[in-house]
Amino acid sequence: MTDINLNGAELAILNSRFEGVVRKMANTLLRTGRSGVLNRAKDFSCCIVTKDSDLLAAAESLPIHVLAGPDMMARTMKEYHPDLKRGDAFLHNSPYHGCSHPADLTLLAPVVDDDGVHRFTVVAKAHQADIGNSEPTTYMGNARDLYHEGALIFPAVQVQRDYNDINDIIRMCEIRIRVPGQWRGDYLAMVGAVRIGEREILSIGQEIGWDKLDAFTKQWFDYSESRMTDALKSLPAGSVHGSSTHDPFPGMPPEGVTIKAQVISKPNEGRITVDLTDNVDCLPCGMNLSEACARTAAMIGVFNSVDHSVPKNAGSFRRIDVQLRYGCIAGITPHPFSCSTATTNIADRVANSVQTAIADLGPNAGMAEVGAVIAPSAGVISGVDSRNGKAFVNQVFLAFSGGAASPHTDAWITTAHVGNAGMCCIDGVELDELYHPILVKKRGFVADSEGAGQFIGGPSTIVEFGPLVGDFDIGYGSDGHINAPKGVAGGAHGGAADQFLQHSDGSKTRLDACALVHVKYGETIVAISAGGGGYGDPAMRDPEAVASAVRDGWITSDRATTVYKVVLNTSGQVDNAATAAMRG
Amino acid sequence: MRFASDTGGTFTDLVVEDDDGRVTMYKASTVPSDPVAGVVAALELAATDRGLSLSTMLARGDVFIHGTTHAINAIITGRTARTALLVTEGHKDILVFREGGRVEPFNHTVPFPKPYVPRALTFEVPERVIYNGDVLKPLDEEVLLNIIAQLKAENVEAVAVCLLWSTINAVHETRIGQLLKQHLPHVPVSLSHAVNPTLREFRRASSAAIDASLKPLMGKYLGSLTDRLKDAGFLGDVMVLTSAGGMMAADYVSDAPIRVINSGPSMAPIAGRYYAALDSFKDRDVIVADTGGTTYDISLVRGGHIPMTRELWIGQPTRGHLVGYPSVDVKSVGAGGGSIARVDSGGLLHVGPMSAGAVPGPVCYSRGGVEPTVTDATVVLGYLDPDFFLGGAMQLDKAAAEKAIKEKVADPLGISVEGAAWTIIELATENMVQAIADITVAQGIDPAQAVLIGGGGAAGLNSTFIARRLGTDTLIIPEMGAALSAAGAMMSDLTAEYATSLFTSTAHFDSEKVNNALFDLRAQCDAFARRAGPKALKTDISITAEARYENQVWDIDMPLDIGRFRSDDDILALRKAFDAAHERIFTVRDETSAVEIVGLRATVKCKLRVGDGLRLDSRNSAADDRKMRKVYFADSGWTDTKLYRLDSMSDGQDIKGPAIIESPFTTIVVDGRGHFRRTASGSIVINP
Repeated sequence: MTDINLNGAELAILNSRFEGVVRKMANTLLRTGRSGVLNRAKDFSCCIVTKDSDLLAAAESLPIHVLAGPDMMARTMKEYHPDLKRGDAFLHNSPYHGCSHPADLTLLAPVVDDDGVHRFTVVAKAHQADIGNSEPTTYMGNARDLYHEGALIFPAVQVQRDYNDINDIIRMCEIRIRVPGQWRGDYLAMVGAVRIGEREILSIGQEIGWDKLDAFTKQWFDYSESRMTDALKSLPAGSVHGSSTHDPFPGMPPEGVTIKAQVISKPNEGRITVDLTDNVDCLPCGMNLSEACARTAAMIGVFNSVDHSVPKNAGSFRRIDVQLRYGCIAGITPHPFSCSTATTNIADRVANSVQTAIADLGPNAGMAEVGAVIAPSAGVISGVDSRNGKAFVNQVFLAFSGGAASPHTDAWITTAHVGNAGMCCIDGVELDELYHPILVKKRGFVADSEGAGQFIGGPSTIVEFGPLVGDFDIGYGSDGHINAPKGVAGGAHGGAADQFLQHSDGSKTRLDACALVHVKYGETIVAISAGGGGYGDPAMRDPEAVASAVRDGWITSDRATTVYKVVLNTSGQVDNAATAAMRG
Repeated sequence: MRFASDTGGTFTDLVVEDDDGRVTMYKASTVPSDPVAGVVAALELAATDRGLSLSTMLARGDVFIHGTTHAINAIITGRTARTALLVTEGHKDILVFREGGRVEPFNHTVPFPKPYVPRALTFEVPERVIYNGDVLKPLDEEVLLNIIAQLKAENVEAVAVCLLWSTINAVHETRIGQLLKQHLPHVPVSLSHAVNPTLREFRRASSAAIDASLKPLMGKYLGSLTDRLKDAGFLGDVMVLTSAGGMMAADYVSDAPIRVINSGPSMAPIAGRYYAALDSFKDRDVIVADTGGTTYDISLVRGGHIPMTRELWIGQPTRGHLVGYPSVDVKSVGAGGGSIARVDSGGLLHVGPMSAGAVPGPVCYSRGGVEPTVTDATVVLGYLDPDFFLGGAMQLDKAAAEKAIKEKVADPLGISVEGAAWTIIELATENMVQAIADITVAQGIDPAQAVLIGGGGAAGLNSTFIARRLGTDTLIIPEMGAALSAAGAMMSDLTAEYATSLFTSTAHFDSEKVNNALFDLRAQCDAFARRAGPKALKTDISITAEARYENQVWDIDMPLDIGRFRSDDDILALRKAFDAAHERIFTVRDETSAVEIVGLRATVKCKLRVGDGLRLDSRNSAADDRKMRKVYFADSGWTDTKLYRLDSMSDGQDIKGPAIIESPFTTIVVDGRGHFRRTASGSIVINP
């Protein structure tokens, strides 16, 4: 089998077929999933790992989901179930065994050939609307430990045999997980996705031959590694330290948590090392990272800084060395510390510390900081709808921004947070007002809040909303008020997050970063999201872009002059001579 | 006499139907700077073919049906009118936020899309209507008049208006429309509730803004087309194809240019459905694939219906502009004859999405192209005859194609030139197969059970391989496949669409509201049919409900056959029909969830054309069927392959490949594994 050698055309075709399989899995999951987290926030992923548990192909999804983790989960499955059979499927959501966080329930199905040999594993992971926590949330930042968190944990537990459900497991889920009908719908969507993936791979194997597919995966990893080597060769050499600080949240020290990353770039070897060991120990809260999220977040920072066309798989991962420490908040979290919010808060700080460190390596590298989440404009609202007497509880996605500038262009404004990369959908005002008794008075952006730079970070969003009738409660956890998203390479920081309760008399009360707020009729929530950091010296920005930003009301002419060193004449056009003089 | 034309990026197709029912087909080069010139050139070919002068032929014409990319090109190149947008106070950034979402999450070289209307030309109007249509804050006309004065000062050429909840209560939008007309009488206005009544303000705003921005230029373009046809002697009706797969009078297009954005590609499934039925595949789902020079357009027919979508993007999804208006669901991918093949630094072959386009085009066109393309590969493999391209109208340079493939693909991969050419075809085929897989899985169609229709002049070159990969047993290359959209245009009906946005649920079904809406929609359709007058031979009205299970985000189109809801049984029938439709597309049903209706749409179709058939006029040329050519296939290498002339083949005979079937417009390749026959309908049916 080792003498099979595929040429660049055969490699391209087989890769296209495997990518087609994961896309088909993802389309199936997206179209059949029932919960909003799945089909609106697109908080799911599908991938294929090899029999050796190496990530081969992943459908385009939010980055924090797939880089590392599926490999570890597949290894757990093989370790606990050495005798894999066709028709098996396993539930996995243990952050201590390779899953990102407990809400990301994962279904793994081994692809077993006609001779009973395990060839690949197909993986579908979907953020659940509920996972049986002690409180009705899947992001329980205040969880003291796993027991307080209360999630049902499945460390690669068999849920299907001979393509049939093991109903004991299903019943356990239906007893513990809130809105079991919805859970069951999402579970079926995951089953549909992995079974389609399995069927497609079996058919590719029969057509192409399993030995040839083995040769393909080996060569595809080598190709991906060579692309990554080339990409890393274009980074400047050096050792740099980056840091990113999370605002104090319940369960954290009063100064918050600063995440530190050391990045060592070795372009002559085509390698990069990310060392996360110099960080605090795990905390008695839900913010600890699973190993999967710690590795993935470090890799996001790296991949955000290199040629985006490098395939993301076990081959390119070989060039990234991520060093983690056992018992560290940004490392390997031991049971029973809670990892309830592992995909967002600290993970975002890890990715940000890595990409801003890379920016310090030299020009045209890395990225600025992406803004933090979750402002009340993407909070969970609940109450009783007095229009029909029905209780409601739902995460709304009215607005988010957060996008960071890169050395190549301005930010993708609606990035949400670094681990999401903008994949999430934004709700229409009309749909949110139809489904909830709310009135959205204003939704827009805060002027002068962009991360200034040669390339600019996203401006803060501002949303003002309150009850249309009756009252509601809103829960959120908004990082980024004290620690606004930093700019790099001379770029400025973006707007900070903030939130207020506006009373009927027009007065305002500032709200805590993390809260469940009761909003009465006549009151409104004013939610300001974090913006994103800028890249490069603002005085290097194209003056025409500055003039157009003034015309469009993104910035004031005052800011154009003081920050961007651009002088405009009375008709709003660039005064070239005065601008040149000012810029020196 | 009837004419149907479709202006593509490379060629302008023309189909002519004479009064005796004879149908002929012509192709002329598209003139990007003056699309009407390409149309006139094609008409001149038709006139010459008949031994008539252009004016004599045109004087016999009853109708001229036109498919045009003029609107979409204007948007892509930014040549639309200077357009302002008026929105509800507090909601200036509807077009900035859009609906979120992104492609390529690691690609930080693509900037965030600019809103279709810049913020500087977006104005907030003090007013507010809520979800049930109640006015929370009355319209402040004084502020509005100030805004209108600013519009004047800004020399705005078109205005779009999109207020929250205008689909439930249009009172403020309507009033703004009146005041704009009064104070800016020569500036066209698009009101969102009229342009696209849908319950998503971003889509409505985007539709209204795009519509308004096209009004001045589409009016001018179609005026010029009509005038030039008239000057040339044409006295009949000028029609334009719509995105929804029908046609409308050119005079009305400037009132609602949003309707013709995807004019042309929308017709392919109309033709595809016809050709599948002609060969008795009426009960099968149909995949219609139209191969062009730069794009591969895929559309579907599911259970006899052509799926529609509100997700038509101009440009890439999430990066371009969302049209938002219901259009025939056509998925377009960057793959075609012009797709460029290259080998990257890691030694991997890529085909597309970069394209040599029409200019400079493939290397073998000798127009300055230097990058090897899919078309070059087909010349190298012997699929295309360099001396008989477009019936010999254009000579192809085979040696140059070989040289480019050798240097840019074969040598870097370390394989032979023909091996390289074959892998280019194979990878292009794979890309097309994946694109078909994406759209069929989203629409709940199993490609292996469907019939594939190959349209476009280049379809025959690799459709056999595509069909085999899809697992289908039937590939049809229609006689008029090379001009599939123009053929669809010839059989299209005069259509209009009306829509209303309403919200109700089977949990508390508001029969009165739904019945009133149905009544209004039918009345609008009837009025349209009356205006069509005696020319309308037959009128069809169809109603579609946009429905979903409670709390679902994406709705699906469900045909609604009922005229009015009289009893609970009618509501039960509706939910059963929805369960079935949902299961059909998504494989699951959820009988425990309520079904919500979020909108109703009506389509009225008036059939204007006498007769149903469309057969190409056959002129038995005395072609020599015994000729052979050396052609390369992966399985058999260079193979002596029999050549057939499409127009001189006899019907019904099952023939085993390998074979090449040629006509002036197309070349069909069948390798040694395939069988094919010409059917009585004139199509080539291939069992791959």
